[in-house]
Amino acid sequence: MRNYIIRRLLQLIPVLFGISVAIFAVLRFIPGGFASGMLGIDATPELIAQVNARYGLDQPVVTQYLNWIGGVLHGDFGISFRSGAEILPEILTRFQVTAELAILAAVISWCIALPLGILAAVKRNRMADRVVRVVALLGVSVPGFALSILVILVLSLFFGYYPPLDYVGLLEDPAKNLEIMFLPALILGCSMSGSVMRMTRSSVLEVLRQDFIKTVRAKGASERVAIFKHALRNALIPIVTLVGLQIGSLLGGAVVVEQIFSLPGLGLMTLTGINNRDYPVVQGCVLFIAFVYVLVNLVVDLLYAYIDPRISYD
Amino acid sequence: MKSVISTLRELWRDPMGKIGIIGVVLLIVVAIFAPQLAPYPYDEIGMRFQPPSAEHLFGTDKFGRDVLSRVIYGARVSLEVGIIAVGIGAVCGYLLGLVAGYFERWVDRVIMCFMDILFAFPSILLAIFISAVLGKGIGPTMVAIGIVNIPVFCRTVRAAVISAKGLEYVQNAKSVGVKTWPLLVRHISPNVVAPFTVQATLALSGAILTEATLSFLGMGIQPPDPSWGSMLSEGRADMIRDPWVALFPLLFIVVTILVFNILGDALRDVLDPKLKT
Amino acid sequence: MKNMKKWLSLSLAGAMLMGVLAGCGGGTSSTPAPVETGAAEATGEPAAVEQVLKYGTDTWPAGFDPHTISAIAATRVFNQVYETLIDFNPDMTFKGVLAESWENPDDVTYVFHLRQGVKFHNGREMTADDVVYSFQRVLGQTDYGDIGALGSTDSYYGGIASIEANDDYTVTITLGEPNAAFMANLTSSYGAIVCREVVEANDGSLSAIDTMCGTGPFMYKESVVDNYISLVKNPDYWEEGAPKLNGITYYLLADESARLAALRTGDINLCSLSALNLSDVEGDENIKVLSYQSNNYTYLGFNLSSEKLQDVRVRQAMSMAVDRQAIIDYVYNGEAAVSTFVAPAMGHWVWDAPAESPLYTYDVEAAKALMEEAGYSDSNRMTLTMAAGLMDSIRDTAVILQQQLKEIYIDVEITNLESGEYVDVWGIMDTPEAGYDSMCGQNGSGTDPNRAVSFFFSTTGGANVWGYSNPEVDELCAQAVATTDEAERESAYIEAQKIVIDESPNLFFASPMEYFFVSSSVEGFEPFAANANNFRSTYIAQ
Repeated sequence: MRNYIIRRLLQLIPVLFGISVAIFAVLRFIPGGFASGMLGIDATPELIAQVNARYGLDQPVVTQYLNWIGGVLHGDFGISFRSGAEILPEILTRFQVTAELAILAAVISWCIALPLGILAAVKRNRMADRVVRVVALLGVSVPGFALSILVILVLSLFFGYYPPLDYVGLLEDPAKNLEIMFLPALILGCSMSGSVMRMTRSSVLEVLRQDFIKTVRAKGASERVAIFKHALRNALIPIVTLVGLQIGSLLGGAVVVEQIFSLPGLGLMTLTGINNRDYPVVQGCVLFIAFVYVLVNLVVDLLYAYIDPRISYD
Repeated sequence: MKSVISTLRELWRDPMGKIGIIGVVLLIVVAIFAPQLAPYPYDEIGMRFQPPSAEHLFGTDKFGRDVLSRVIYGARVSLEVGIIAVGIGAVCGYLLGLVAGYFERWVDRVIMCFMDILFAFPSILLAIFISAVLGKGIGPTMVAIGIVNIPVFCRTVRAAVISAKGLEYVQNAKSVGVKTWPLLVRHISPNVVAPFTVQATLALSGAILTEATLSFLGMGIQPPDPSWGSMLSEGRADMIRDPWVALFPLLFIVVTILVFNILGDALRDVLDPKLKT
Repeated sequence: MKNMKKWLSLSLAGAMLMGVLAGCGGGTSSTPAPVETGAAEATGEPAAVEQVLKYGTDTWPAGFDPHTISAIAATRVFNQVYETLIDFNPDMTFKGVLAESWENPDDVTYVFHLRQGVKFHNGREMTADDVVYSFQRVLGQTDYGDIGALGSTDSYYGGIASIEANDDYTVTITLGEPNAAFMANLTSSYGAIVCREVVEANDGSLSAIDTMCGTGPFMYKESVVDNYISLVKNPDYWEEGAPKLNGITYYLLADESARLAALRTGDINLCSLSALNLSDVEGDENIKVLSYQSNNYTYLGFNLSSEKLQDVRVRQAMSMAVDRQAIIDYVYNGEAAVSTFVAPAMGHWVWDAPAESPLYTYDVEAAKALMEEAGYSDSNRMTLTMAAGLMDSIRDTAVILQQQLKEIYIDVEITNLESGEYVDVWGIMDTPEAGYDSMCGQNGSGTDPNRAVSFFFSTTGGANVWGYSNPEVDELCAQAVATTDEAERESAYIEAQKIVIDESPNLFFASPMEYFFVSSSVEGFEPFAANANNFRSTYIAQ
């Protein structure tokens, strides 16, 4: 097992190297540049040259890349062109916001989806199953931005409520932090729960049909034990995959909700960076997100082994 | 392998399958015959923010365009983007996931390395990149959304393959000396059909909505062409004031996703060999 | 109709909330409503006593260096912190800020007498050396060299030949040649006076938010990036009794609906919103609307490297085929003024084209006739590719234009641009490489007609990206900037406007109103186009 983990960690290297090259190249290929974006319609070729020189953008791309990646290897992600702030500390601060949001959303979605999914599977093709499935689909099919805005509008108009605007960390003021996080996490959780529920249902169904469950049933164990001990355990594999994927995608993908609720998260940081063509910020964020994402997947794969003893890594 | 016709026949026998087929066919008919069905041209401007009436069943939007006509034409864009983008993502993801999950070792590592890179890449940036390479409009949008979807399919399928490989009957088949590809197709594929159809129907809704985000950023469908996603996104500020502008595209998105899901479930039941017992 | 609206909005709300509730409950247990507690907390706060203005802002500032950033999202923050020598009064005359008085011994020399006892936020007194240093920084004459400052261009301070401190409180600026727009240029935030030791302590960069150190009425206190910025009152501010507020806090609220919602609940008490929201606050006694005519105007610029657009008849026909009032009605809810490139807010500099130019008369038949003369007909239609900028109002304008130009044998193909594409395409709109025949966007007339006219339409103008060139216009622009005689300037600019509008290298449509939606308790805030964020005498009533 330990060897496996070491091997997996070594495999991080090509992934991170690949993403660093890809993001660097793509950022420089796409239309728009940092200088022209900052200067706007007043830009002149001289001003653009001045700005490029000031930020080292006049050097050959390979040199720029080597300078950047060299810094990253020493833990120096550089400073934001726009705000002049150090990038790594900023990323770490933002990560706390996004991670909290992702975890809360995931927990909410599990709480909703696991029981409903199992219920739907056990009551397959009966009324309960159909109702649960339709309700779960509503969560997926209403887009996050529309739901977020609607919730804000309804709460403010009919209840005079708006979540606190000034963000505080979880440790500074837990109550206020949770109040700020509650609505965005709920909205994300609902949209995630649809897919988790359906995945749970179909996995449980799948497993219920497999031979060994039939064996367990035949041996006289009660239905309930069969379901929970064996079915769920086996069904967990695709579910864990999905949750891993979703937490991964929330790291950078909760942008819309972060934006509407003004949560200073990693997704918003990346988006602003892209809009401003603030290269080091985008590069830093994407590299960091990739790193965390690959780690989450490693954990997911280790969980496979834990959940299903038939899978072994050595 | 079952023929398409017999599969359809079986689907039709299932009440849920029937609903799914009828729903999907209806939507496709709406999309194909949009010019005949729409009461007005989708870009004709007139009296703005008219509430639903006999003249404008779904009301009018901020340009006074008939929302019903736009919803009907929007079916073309949204279904096309949804189905083709998910198709691209699903086919690529399916093959890659199957290969990665079956072979494991270095094949798996290389494929998953690419998937991780792709997945961690911000999809907005990817879309900007693709529109810089391929231009704008419906084609590049479908490609962009399709590519974004590959890793999810790939991981789902790979996980299901890994778990299926542990099953006795697959082990048995292997030990009897069944060759690699037939084994994959015949014995493993049926096992991944379940999570895969679920994923595909989920991705469909994702694709319809991603298209809205891309249009909003200036990369998706270009005006005045309507898509449900972009109509919803444009109408979001009016949700309290003039709710019909957003309500009807939303309704169609929800219904579409519902019928595709119902069809997906029914299809899964028909295709799944183990249900035959 | 009203009932129908309400019914639909409720059903939509219900449909969506069902999703949420289905989520919360998992069927049985319902989560305790956070709604009640939150509302109680909000009302429990003694908001009125606080004297803190809570400002909902749509975009996070992209940097805080007044010499390199000009976006409104940034200036609305750092203009509270930094000050310039002079500023505009609402009637567009100048008032002293850091300069108490000034004189013009000749037409290239400006002597400014600085206010005494003005302190930077770090406690040091501001002197003539700081003024000299600030302009040197803009012009790239400090140890840090060129910093890419927008103010270093010819249209701002590029013409400064020398700047000297005569004593601690007197500064003399000498220009290379007369420039009638110079005083107006000094009101720009590019002319902000910064603190030398802060620049040096930060290695020449003032981009970071915590480097903000000026002489203004508010000082930087704290911030969370992409969330809020808190400024507090400068207790040593030079103006007696100002500011009245104890602070301003800016909250990022990117979405319009979110800003309106937060304003309703009192979580913010000031924000800018578009005209569409006006009807929502009608009759709401807690919210008032302050509006002013902006200096901005929407335009359709033609890529003059495109042969079909070199035909002036085609451009004129398009001008006549556009129903500008319809654009105003659809895009701005009727709340905008028909405009040329010298926006109506510029007062006496404006040539009244809507009344006097035949090209501003909506006349489809005349336009069709011109197009037919140019060889177009129903069987020979023109395809016009149009790039649309980033704002909703621009994209909406493009949609209306598409419909209106259809009438005169022109098929418009719209492409909405992403922000990066926009800056790339803008710079090359006079070449075929731009890939578009025309660009729909919004520009600003600025505060002096020199910018409105020369910058955009003289042959060498920095923003003349269309390839437009007319020696007569160039001559008039040169004349108008070389004299300080107002009447002479006015007649030259009016003449230039007539030519540009007649030749229509761009079409001009509307100058929108800008709206601040403000809690009724906010008093003493009177925005106008040249200075929309002055909170020196603002206070919160009760």
